[in-house]
Amino acid sequence: MSARARHRTLTAAGVVLLLALMEAIGRVGLFGSSWPPLTEVVSYVAEPVTGDLLGRALAATAGAAGTGFALGSAVAVVVAALGVLLPVVQPGLDRLAAVVNAIPLIALGPLLITTVGREGTPTVIAALAAGFAMFIAATSGLAAASTPHHDVFSALGASRRTRLLRLQLPAAVPLLLDGLTLAAPAAVLGAVIGEWFGAPRGLGILLVSSMQNFQIELLWAAALTSALVSLAAYLVLTGLRSLATGRFL
Amino acid sequence: MRPGAESATARRAVWRPVLNAVSRYWTVVALIAAWALWIRVENLNQIVAPTPAAVFGDVLGHPTVYAADLGWTLLNACAGLILGMALGAGSAVAVWASPVLSGLMTPMALIMRSVPVVAMIPVIAQVAGFGNTAVLAVTVVVSFFPAFVMAGSGLRSAPAATSDLFTVLHASRPTRLRLLLLPNAAGALLVALRLTAPTTVLAAMLAEYLLGTHGLGKLFADSVTFMDTARAWGTALVATVVSVGCFIAARAAERHGTARFS
Repeated sequence: MSARARHRTLTAAGVVLLLALMEAIGRVGLFGSSWPPLTEVVSYVAEPVTGDLLGRALAATAGAAGTGFALGSAVAVVVAALGVLLPVVQPGLDRLAAVVNAIPLIALGPLLITTVGREGTPTVIAALAAGFAMFIAATSGLAAASTPHHDVFSALGASRRTRLLRLQLPAAVPLLLDGLTLAAPAAVLGAVIGEWFGAPRGLGILLVSSMQNFQIELLWAAALTSALVSLAAYLVLTGLRSLATGRFL
Repeated sequence: MRPGAESATARRAVWRPVLNAVSRYWTVVALIAAWALWIRVENLNQIVAPTPAAVFGDVLGHPTVYAADLGWTLLNACAGLILGMALGAGSAVAVWASPVLSGLMTPMALIMRSVPVVAMIPVIAQVAGFGNTAVLAVTVVVSFFPAFVMAGSGLRSAPAATSDLFTVLHASRPTRLRLLLLPNAAGALLVALRLTAPTTVLAAMLAEYLLGTHGLGKLFADSVTFMDTARAWGTALVATVVSVGCFIAARAAERHGTARFS
Protein backbone atom coordinates (compact mmCIF):
# COMPACT_ATOMS: atom_id res chain seq x y z
CA MET A 1 0.00 0.00 0.00
CA SER A 2 1.40 3.40 -0.93
CA ALA A 3 2.01 5.97 1.80
CA ARG A 4 -0.80 8.13 0.41
CA ALA A 5 -3.37 5.33 0.38
CA ARG A 6 -2.25 4.31 3.86
CA HIS A 7 -2.72 7.88 5.09
CA ARG A 8 -6.18 7.98 3.52
CA THR A 9 -7.21 4.70 5.17
CA LEU A 10 -5.97 5.94 8.54
CA THR A 11 -7.82 9.24 8.15
CA ALA A 12 -11.04 7.41 7.29
CA ALA A 13 -10.48 5.12 10.26
CA GLY A 14 -9.92 8.20 12.42
CA VAL A 15 -13.27 9.66 11.35
CA VAL A 16 -15.03 6.36 12.08
CA LEU A 17 -13.27 6.13 15.44
CA LEU A 18 -14.30 9.68 16.35
CA LEU A 19 -17.95 8.97 15.50
CA ALA A 20 -17.80 5.65 17.39
CA LEU A 21 -16.34 7.46 20.41
CA MET A 22 -19.17 10.01 20.35
CA GLU A 23 -21.68 7.13 20.19
CA ALA A 24 -19.94 5.20 22.98
CA ILE A 25 -19.82 8.19 25.36
CA GLY A 26 -23.56 8.61 24.87
CA ARG A 27 -24.31 4.89 25.30
CA VAL A 28 -22.24 4.59 28.50
CA GLY A 29 -23.75 7.82 29.80
CA LEU A 30 -20.41 9.38 30.73
CA PHE A 31 -21.97 12.87 30.83
CA GLY A 32 -25.46 11.76 31.83
CA SER A 33 -28.32 12.78 29.58
CA SER A 34 -26.51 15.85 28.21
CA TRP A 35 -24.47 13.73 25.74
CA PRO A 36 -26.90 11.53 23.77
CA PRO A 37 -25.63 8.69 21.53
CA LEU A 38 -25.02 9.85 17.95
CA THR A 39 -27.52 7.37 16.49
CA GLU A 40 -30.26 8.85 18.67
CA VAL A 41 -29.51 12.35 17.36
CA VAL A 42 -29.54 11.07 13.78
CA SER A 43 -32.86 9.26 14.19
CA TYR A 44 -34.22 12.43 15.82
CA VAL A 45 -33.20 14.45 12.77
CA ALA A 46 -34.80 11.84 10.49
CA GLU A 47 -38.24 12.55 11.99
CA PRO A 48 -40.18 14.72 9.51
CA VAL A 49 -41.08 17.46 12.04
CA THR A 50 -37.52 18.05 13.24
CA GLY A 51 -36.18 17.57 9.73
CA ASP A 52 -38.44 20.43 8.64
CA LEU A 53 -37.43 22.63 11.56
CA LEU A 54 -33.72 22.05 10.97
CA GLY A 55 -34.14 22.48 7.23
CA ARG A 56 -35.69 25.92 7.63
CA ALA A 57 -33.07 26.96 10.19
CA LEU A 58 -30.31 25.65 7.93
CA ALA A 59 -31.67 27.58 4.94
CA ALA A 60 -31.69 30.82 6.97
CA THR A 61 -28.17 30.31 8.35
CA ALA A 62 -26.71 29.15 5.05
CA GLY A 63 -28.31 32.15 3.32
CA ALA A 64 -26.87 34.61 5.83
CA ALA A 65 -23.46 32.91 5.82
CA GLY A 66 -23.37 32.71 2.01
CA THR A 67 -24.39 36.33 1.47
CA GLY A 68 -21.98 37.48 4.18
CA PHE A 69 -19.18 35.37 2.70
CA ALA A 70 -19.64 36.80 -0.80
CA LEU A 71 -20.09 40.37 0.42
CA GLY A 72 -17.24 40.28 2.95
CA SER A 73 -14.77 38.63 0.56
CA ALA A 74 -15.57 41.03 -2.28
CA VAL A 75 -15.28 44.15 -0.09
CA ALA A 76 -12.05 42.84 1.48
CA VAL A 77 -10.39 42.29 -1.91
CA VAL A 78 -11.53 45.72 -3.16
CA VAL A 79 -10.22 47.42 0.00
CA ALA A 80 -6.90 45.54 -0.23
CA ALA A 81 -6.61 46.59 -3.90
CA LEU A 82 -7.37 50.17 -2.87
CA GLY A 83 -4.43 49.93 -0.48
CA VAL A 84 -2.22 48.99 -3.44
CA LEU A 85 -3.49 51.79 -5.68
CA LEU A 86 -3.20 54.41 -2.91
CA PRO A 87 -0.21 53.32 -0.77
CA VAL A 88 -0.78 56.30 1.57
CA VAL A 89 -3.91 54.74 3.06
CA GLN A 90 -2.53 51.20 3.44
CA PRO A 91 -1.20 51.31 7.05
CA GLY A 92 -4.46 52.88 8.22
CA LEU A 93 -6.51 50.17 6.50
CA ASP A 94 -4.39 47.43 8.13
CA ARG A 95 -4.99 48.89 11.59
CA LEU A 96 -8.70 49.39 10.93
CA ALA A 97 -9.07 45.73 9.92
CA ALA A 98 -7.23 44.58 13.07
CA VAL A 99 -9.32 46.79 15.36
CA VAL A 100 -12.65 45.88 13.74
CA ASN A 101 -11.69 42.20 14.02
CA ALA A 102 -10.85 42.67 17.70
CA ILE A 103 -14.28 44.13 18.57
CA PRO A 104 -15.92 41.18 20.35
CA LEU A 105 -18.83 39.66 18.44
CA ILE A 106 -21.17 39.97 21.41
CA ALA A 107 -20.57 43.70 21.43
CA LEU A 108 -21.32 43.95 17.71
CA GLY A 109 -24.64 42.12 18.12
CA PRO A 110 -26.64 44.78 19.97
CA LEU A 111 -24.93 47.55 17.97
CA LEU A 112 -25.96 45.92 14.69
CA ILE A 113 -29.49 45.24 15.88
CA THR A 114 -29.98 48.99 16.37
CA THR A 115 -28.46 49.76 12.96
CA VAL A 116 -29.29 46.95 10.50
CA GLY A 117 -32.05 45.15 12.42
CA ARG A 118 -32.47 41.58 13.63
CA GLU A 119 -32.79 40.12 10.13
CA GLY A 120 -29.59 41.66 8.81
CA THR A 121 -27.32 41.12 11.83
CA PRO A 122 -26.20 37.52 11.03
CA THR A 123 -25.29 38.52 7.47
CA VAL A 124 -23.27 41.54 8.57
CA ILE A 125 -21.37 39.61 11.27
CA ALA A 126 -20.68 36.83 8.75
CA ALA A 127 -19.42 39.45 6.29
CA LEU A 128 -17.14 41.01 8.90
CA ALA A 129 -15.71 37.63 9.97
CA ALA A 130 -15.15 36.43 6.40
CA GLY A 131 -13.93 39.85 5.30
CA PHE A 132 -11.14 39.96 7.88
CA ALA A 133 -9.79 36.52 6.86
CA MET A 134 -9.98 37.60 3.22
CA PHE A 135 -8.37 41.00 3.84
CA ILE A 136 -5.32 39.36 5.47
CA ALA A 137 -5.05 36.88 2.60
CA ALA A 138 -5.50 39.61 -0.01
CA THR A 139 -2.89 42.00 1.42
CA SER A 140 -0.26 39.26 1.60
CA GLY A 141 -1.40 37.91 -1.79
CA LEU A 142 -1.03 41.29 -3.49
CA ALA A 143 2.50 41.52 -2.07
CA ALA A 144 3.39 38.02 -3.31
CA ALA A 145 4.62 38.89 -6.83
CA SER A 146 8.40 38.47 -7.16
CA THR A 147 10.81 41.41 -7.37
CA PRO A 148 12.05 40.54 -10.90
CA HIS A 149 8.47 40.66 -12.15
CA HIS A 150 7.99 44.04 -10.48
CA ASP A 151 11.25 45.23 -12.07
CA VAL A 152 9.94 44.32 -15.53
CA PHE A 153 6.79 46.35 -14.93
CA SER A 154 8.84 49.29 -13.60
CA ALA A 155 11.21 49.15 -16.58
CA LEU A 156 8.25 49.22 -18.98
CA GLY A 157 6.76 52.17 -17.09
CA ALA A 158 3.56 50.37 -16.14
CA SER A 159 0.95 52.32 -14.18
CA ARG A 160 -0.15 51.14 -10.73
CA ARG A 161 -3.46 49.99 -12.22
CA THR A 162 -1.80 47.89 -14.95
CA ARG A 163 0.59 46.45 -12.41
CA LEU A 164 -2.32 45.53 -10.13
CA LEU A 165 -4.42 43.93 -12.88
CA ARG A 166 -1.67 42.18 -14.87
CA LEU A 167 0.78 41.21 -12.14
CA GLN A 168 -0.39 41.49 -8.55
CA LEU A 169 -3.92 40.07 -8.87
CA PRO A 170 -2.87 36.96 -10.87
CA ALA A 171 0.00 36.39 -8.43
CA ALA A 172 -2.42 36.70 -5.51
CA VAL A 173 -4.79 33.97 -6.70
CA PRO A 174 -3.31 31.05 -4.67
CA LEU A 175 -3.32 33.07 -1.45
CA LEU A 176 -6.80 34.43 -2.20
CA LEU A 177 -8.05 30.85 -2.52
CA ASP A 178 -6.35 30.02 0.80
CA GLY A 179 -8.15 32.99 2.29
CA LEU A 180 -11.49 31.74 0.94
CA THR A 181 -11.03 28.37 2.68
CA LEU A 182 -10.49 30.26 5.95
CA ALA A 183 -13.27 32.75 5.30
CA ALA A 184 -15.99 30.13 4.72
CA PRO A 185 -15.95 28.62 8.25
CA ALA A 186 -15.56 32.14 9.65
CA ALA A 187 -18.72 33.21 7.80
CA VAL A 188 -20.69 30.24 9.19
CA LEU A 189 -19.48 31.06 12.71
CA GLY A 190 -20.38 34.73 12.23
CA ALA A 191 -23.87 33.88 10.99
CA VAL A 192 -24.55 31.46 13.87
CA ILE A 193 -23.36 33.94 16.51
CA GLY A 194 -25.23 36.77 14.83
CA GLU A 195 -28.40 34.73 15.26
CA TRP A 196 -27.81 34.40 19.01
CA PHE A 197 -28.96 38.00 19.39
CA GLY A 198 -32.53 37.28 18.49
CA ALA A 199 -32.67 36.64 14.75
CA PRO A 200 -36.14 35.39 13.77
CA ARG A 201 -34.84 31.98 12.63
CA GLY A 202 -31.62 30.05 12.08
CA LEU A 203 -29.33 27.43 13.59
CA GLY A 204 -27.90 29.91 16.11
CA ILE A 205 -31.27 30.72 17.65
CA LEU A 206 -32.07 26.99 17.66
CA LEU A 207 -28.81 26.30 19.55
CA VAL A 208 -29.52 28.89 22.25
CA SER A 209 -33.22 28.15 22.73
CA SER A 210 -32.71 24.37 22.86
CA MET A 211 -29.95 24.91 25.45
CA GLN A 212 -32.23 27.06 27.58
CA ASN A 213 -35.12 24.56 27.32
CA PHE A 214 -32.97 21.44 27.83
CA GLN A 215 -33.98 19.99 24.45
CA ILE A 216 -30.77 18.04 24.30
CA GLU A 217 -31.37 16.14 21.08
CA LEU A 218 -32.35 19.32 19.25
CA LEU A 219 -29.26 21.05 20.66
CA TRP A 220 -26.97 18.33 19.34
CA ALA A 221 -28.81 18.15 16.04
CA ALA A 222 -28.40 21.92 15.52
CA ALA A 223 -24.73 21.81 16.55
CA LEU A 224 -23.91 18.90 14.24
CA THR A 225 -25.78 20.57 11.37
CA SER A 226 -23.80 23.79 11.72
CA ALA A 227 -20.55 21.80 11.98
CA LEU A 228 -21.46 19.88 8.80
CA VAL A 229 -22.34 23.07 6.86
CA SER A 230 -19.03 24.58 7.82
CA LEU A 231 -17.14 21.37 6.95
CA ALA A 232 -18.91 21.12 3.58
CA ALA A 233 -18.07 24.74 2.70
CA TYR A 234 -14.45 24.16 3.70
CA LEU A 235 -14.13 20.94 1.68
CA VAL A 236 -15.70 22.48 -1.46
CA LEU A 237 -13.30 25.44 -1.32
CA THR A 238 -10.30 23.20 -0.62
CA GLY A 239 -11.25 21.17 -3.69
CA LEU A 240 -11.56 24.36 -5.74
CA ARG A 241 -8.15 25.48 -4.53
CA SER A 242 -6.42 22.25 -5.51
CA LEU A 243 -8.05 22.50 -8.96
CA ALA A 244 -6.80 26.07 -9.36
CA THR A 245 -3.27 25.72 -7.96
CA GLY A 246 -2.18 23.78 -11.05
CA ARG A 247 -3.18 26.75 -13.20
CA PHE A 248 -1.68 29.58 -11.14
CA LEU A 249 1.48 28.16 -9.51
CA MET B 1 26.62 71.57 6.51
CA ARG B 2 24.49 74.67 6.56
CA PRO B 3 23.32 75.66 10.04
CA GLY B 4 19.64 75.24 9.07
CA ALA B 5 20.06 71.67 7.77
CA GLU B 6 20.83 70.19 11.15
CA SER B 7 17.76 71.66 12.81
CA ALA B 8 15.62 70.54 9.85
CA THR B 9 16.86 66.95 10.34
CA ALA B 10 16.09 67.22 14.04
CA ARG B 11 12.64 68.55 13.27
CA ARG B 12 12.02 65.65 10.89
CA ALA B 13 13.14 63.19 13.62
CA VAL B 14 10.56 64.71 15.96
CA TRP B 15 7.77 64.60 13.36
CA ARG B 16 8.52 61.07 12.04
CA PRO B 17 6.79 59.17 14.94
CA VAL B 18 3.82 61.54 14.81
CA LEU B 19 3.42 61.00 11.06
CA ASN B 20 3.77 57.25 11.52
CA ALA B 21 1.05 57.23 14.15
CA VAL B 22 -1.22 59.35 11.94
CA SER B 23 -0.72 57.09 8.92
CA ARG B 24 -1.53 54.03 11.01
CA TYR B 25 -4.39 55.21 13.17
CA TRP B 26 -6.27 57.78 11.06
CA THR B 27 -8.85 55.12 10.16
CA VAL B 28 -9.48 54.29 13.84
CA VAL B 29 -9.90 58.00 14.60
CA ALA B 30 -12.17 58.32 11.53
CA LEU B 31 -14.26 55.41 12.83
CA ILE B 32 -14.78 57.14 16.19
CA ALA B 33 -15.53 60.46 14.46
CA ALA B 34 -18.09 58.73 12.22
CA TRP B 35 -19.70 57.22 15.32
CA ALA B 36 -20.01 60.66 16.98
CA LEU B 37 -21.31 62.21 13.76
CA TRP B 38 -23.88 59.41 13.28
CA ILE B 39 -25.34 60.08 16.73
CA ARG B 40 -25.40 63.85 16.13
CA VAL B 41 -27.03 63.58 12.69
CA GLU B 42 -29.60 60.92 13.57
CA ASN B 43 -30.19 62.70 16.89
CA LEU B 44 -30.13 59.35 18.71
CA ASN B 45 -31.17 58.88 22.31
CA GLN B 46 -28.52 57.74 24.84
CA ILE B 47 -30.55 54.53 25.33
CA VAL B 48 -30.25 53.62 21.65
CA ALA B 49 -26.58 54.51 21.20
CA PRO B 50 -24.22 56.46 23.48
CA THR B 51 -21.75 59.10 22.30
CA PRO B 52 -18.04 58.23 22.27
CA ALA B 53 -17.55 60.74 25.12
CA ALA B 54 -20.14 58.97 27.29
CA VAL B 55 -18.52 55.58 26.68
CA PHE B 56 -14.95 56.73 27.34
CA GLY B 57 -16.22 58.67 30.36
CA ASP B 58 -17.95 55.61 31.82
CA VAL B 59 -14.84 53.45 31.44
CA LEU B 60 -12.50 56.07 32.91
CA GLY B 61 -14.99 57.06 35.63
CA HIS B 62 -15.67 53.56 36.99
CA PRO B 63 -12.41 51.65 36.62
CA THR B 64 -13.15 49.34 39.59
CA VAL B 65 -16.45 48.08 38.08
CA TYR B 66 -14.68 47.06 34.91
CA ALA B 67 -11.52 45.78 36.60
CA ALA B 68 -13.29 43.11 38.69
CA ASP B 69 -15.12 41.61 35.71
CA LEU B 70 -12.11 41.99 33.46
CA GLY B 71 -10.15 39.99 36.05
CA TRP B 72 -12.66 37.13 35.82
CA THR B 73 -12.58 37.08 32.04
CA LEU B 74 -8.78 37.15 31.93
CA LEU B 75 -8.60 34.43 34.59
CA ASN B 76 -10.99 32.22 32.61
CA ALA B 77 -9.12 32.90 29.39
CA CYS B 78 -5.62 32.37 30.85
CA ALA B 79 -6.51 29.22 32.80
CA GLY B 80 -8.26 27.79 29.73
CA LEU B 81 -5.37 28.76 27.48
CA ILE B 82 -2.77 27.11 29.73
CA LEU B 83 -4.82 23.94 30.31
CA GLY B 84 -5.93 23.65 26.68
CA MET B 85 -2.48 24.24 25.21
CA ALA B 86 -0.85 21.86 27.71
CA LEU B 87 -3.42 19.17 26.86
CA GLY B 88 -3.02 19.83 23.15
CA ALA B 89 0.79 19.73 23.22
CA GLY B 90 0.75 16.67 25.51
CA SER B 91 -1.62 14.81 23.20
CA ALA B 92 0.55 15.75 20.21
CA VAL B 93 3.62 14.22 21.92
CA ALA B 94 1.62 11.13 22.92
CA VAL B 95 0.48 10.64 19.34
CA TRP B 96 3.89 11.41 17.79
CA ALA B 97 5.41 8.06 18.79
CA SER B 98 3.01 6.13 16.57
CA PRO B 99 2.38 6.81 12.86
CA VAL B 100 -0.89 4.89 13.10
CA LEU B 101 -2.15 7.11 15.91
CA SER B 102 -1.08 10.29 14.07
CA GLY B 103 -2.96 9.09 11.00
CA LEU B 104 -6.03 8.42 13.10
CA MET B 105 -5.81 11.96 14.47
CA THR B 106 -5.81 13.69 11.04
CA PRO B 107 -9.53 14.53 11.36
CA MET B 108 -8.54 16.74 14.32
CA ALA B 109 -6.75 19.09 11.93
CA LEU B 110 -9.85 19.19 9.76
CA ILE B 111 -12.00 19.99 12.79
CA MET B 112 -9.67 22.82 13.79
CA ARG B 113 -9.80 24.41 10.33
CA SER B 114 -13.46 23.98 9.57
CA VAL B 115 -15.72 23.53 12.60
CA PRO B 116 -16.79 26.74 14.35
CA VAL B 117 -15.87 25.63 17.89
CA VAL B 118 -17.04 28.93 19.41
CA ALA B 119 -20.55 28.26 18.04
CA MET B 120 -20.55 25.01 20.03
CA ILE B 121 -20.63 26.90 23.37
CA PRO B 122 -24.25 25.83 24.10
CA VAL B 123 -23.29 22.15 23.68
CA ILE B 124 -20.14 22.46 25.78
CA ALA B 125 -22.14 24.27 28.47
CA GLN B 126 -24.75 21.53 28.46
CA VAL B 127 -22.10 18.82 28.88
CA ALA B 128 -19.92 20.70 31.41
CA GLY B 129 -22.89 21.77 33.54
CA PHE B 130 -23.26 25.56 33.09
CA GLY B 131 -21.60 27.70 35.82
CA ASN B 132 -18.01 28.88 35.69
CA THR B 133 -16.69 25.34 34.99
CA ALA B 134 -18.51 25.49 31.67
CA VAL B 135 -16.81 28.79 30.79
CA LEU B 136 -13.46 27.20 31.62
CA ALA B 137 -14.36 24.12 29.56
CA VAL B 138 -15.15 26.36 26.59
CA THR B 139 -11.78 28.13 26.77
CA VAL B 140 -9.97 24.77 27.16
CA VAL B 141 -11.69 23.29 24.10
CA VAL B 142 -11.06 26.43 22.03
CA SER B 143 -7.33 26.42 22.79
CA PHE B 144 -6.89 22.63 22.56
CA PHE B 145 -7.29 22.14 18.79
CA PRO B 146 -4.78 24.71 17.49
CA ALA B 147 -2.16 23.60 20.06
CA PHE B 148 -2.64 19.93 19.17
CA VAL B 149 -2.47 20.51 15.41
CA MET B 150 0.40 23.02 15.43
CA ALA B 151 2.52 21.07 17.94
CA GLY B 152 1.93 17.91 15.91
CA SER B 153 3.14 19.52 12.69
CA GLY B 154 6.07 21.06 14.61
CA LEU B 155 7.11 17.62 15.86
CA ARG B 156 7.00 16.22 12.33
CA SER B 157 8.90 19.05 10.64
CA ALA B 158 12.34 18.78 12.28
CA PRO B 159 15.17 19.71 9.87
CA ALA B 160 16.24 16.56 7.97
CA ALA B 161 19.99 17.15 8.43
CA THR B 162 19.76 17.47 12.22
CA SER B 163 17.44 14.50 12.28
CA ASP B 164 20.07 12.46 10.37
CA LEU B 165 22.70 13.48 12.91
CA PHE B 166 20.58 12.09 15.73
CA THR B 167 20.13 8.86 13.76
CA VAL B 168 23.87 8.53 13.13
CA LEU B 169 24.58 9.06 16.84
CA HIS B 170 22.00 6.39 17.75
CA ALA B 171 20.00 8.81 19.87
CA SER B 172 17.16 7.15 21.76
CA ARG B 173 13.62 8.28 21.02
CA PRO B 174 13.26 10.23 24.33
CA THR B 175 16.58 12.02 23.70
CA ARG B 176 15.50 12.87 20.16
CA LEU B 177 12.21 14.17 21.49
CA ARG B 178 13.82 16.27 24.20
CA LEU B 179 16.77 17.72 22.30
CA LEU B 180 15.46 17.99 18.75
CA LEU B 181 11.72 17.77 18.39
CA LEU B 182 10.43 19.69 21.40
CA PRO B 183 12.58 22.79 20.73
CA ASN B 184 11.40 22.54 17.12
CA ALA B 185 7.76 22.29 18.17
CA ALA B 186 8.08 25.23 20.58
CA GLY B 187 8.00 27.68 17.67
CA ALA B 188 4.87 26.06 16.25
CA LEU B 189 3.27 26.17 19.70
CA LEU B 190 3.95 29.91 19.90
CA VAL B 191 2.18 30.35 16.55
CA ALA B 192 -0.75 28.46 18.09
CA LEU B 193 -0.63 30.86 21.05
CA ARG B 194 -0.85 33.89 18.75
CA LEU B 195 -3.77 32.34 16.86
CA THR B 196 -5.62 31.31 20.02
CA ALA B 197 -5.07 34.06 22.60
CA PRO B 198 -7.55 36.64 21.19
CA THR B 199 -10.07 33.88 20.31
CA THR B 200 -9.93 32.52 23.87
CA VAL B 201 -10.76 35.93 25.35
CA LEU B 202 -13.64 36.24 22.89
CA ALA B 203 -14.86 32.72 23.66
CA ALA B 204 -14.69 33.39 27.42
CA MET B 205 -16.80 36.54 26.96
CA LEU B 206 -19.36 34.78 24.77
CA ALA B 207 -19.68 31.93 27.27
CA GLU B 208 -20.05 34.39 30.17
CA TYR B 209 -22.67 36.30 28.20
CA LEU B 210 -24.67 33.18 27.41
CA LEU B 211 -24.34 31.46 30.78
CA GLY B 212 -24.45 34.57 32.98
CA THR B 213 -21.61 33.67 35.37
CA HIS B 214 -18.98 36.32 36.10
CA GLY B 215 -16.84 38.50 33.89
CA LEU B 216 -17.08 41.03 31.06
CA GLY B 217 -19.67 38.96 29.18
CA LYS B 218 -21.96 39.03 32.22
CA LEU B 219 -21.35 42.75 32.76
CA PHE B 220 -22.34 43.30 29.15
CA ALA B 221 -25.49 41.16 29.45
CA ASP B 222 -26.54 43.04 32.62
CA SER B 223 -25.91 46.45 31.06
CA VAL B 224 -28.03 45.51 28.04
CA THR B 225 -30.83 44.29 30.33
CA PHE B 226 -30.81 47.52 32.35
CA MET B 227 -30.49 49.67 29.20
CA ASP B 228 -27.20 51.11 30.44
CA THR B 229 -25.86 51.46 26.90
CA ALA B 230 -22.83 53.53 27.87
CA ARG B 231 -21.67 50.69 30.12
CA ALA B 232 -22.50 48.05 27.49
CA TRP B 233 -20.43 49.84 24.86
CA GLY B 234 -17.76 50.50 27.49
CA THR B 235 -17.52 46.74 28.04
CA ALA B 236 -17.12 46.30 24.30
CA LEU B 237 -14.39 48.96 24.28
CA VAL B 238 -12.51 47.29 27.16
CA ALA B 239 -12.84 43.88 25.48
CA THR B 240 -11.54 45.26 22.19
CA VAL B 241 -8.52 46.83 23.86
CA VAL B 242 -7.82 43.61 25.81
CA SER B 243 -8.17 41.48 22.67
CA VAL B 244 -5.72 43.71 20.76
CA GLY B 245 -3.40 43.62 23.79
CA CYS B 246 -3.50 39.81 23.90
CA PHE B 247 -2.67 39.64 20.22
CA ILE B 248 0.26 42.04 20.60
CA ALA B 249 1.58 40.17 23.67
CA ALA B 250 1.28 36.79 21.92
CA ARG B 251 3.00 38.17 18.83
CA ALA B 252 5.83 39.54 20.96
CA ALA B 253 6.13 36.12 22.66
CA GLU B 254 6.25 34.47 19.25
CA ARG B 255 8.98 36.79 17.94
CA HIS B 256 11.00 36.40 21.13
CA GLY B 257 10.55 32.61 21.06
CA THR B 258 11.37 32.27 17.37
CA ALA B 259 14.62 34.13 17.97
CA ARG B 260 15.34 31.86 20.94
CA PHE B 261 14.46 28.48 19.40
CA SER B 262 15.61 28.78 15.79
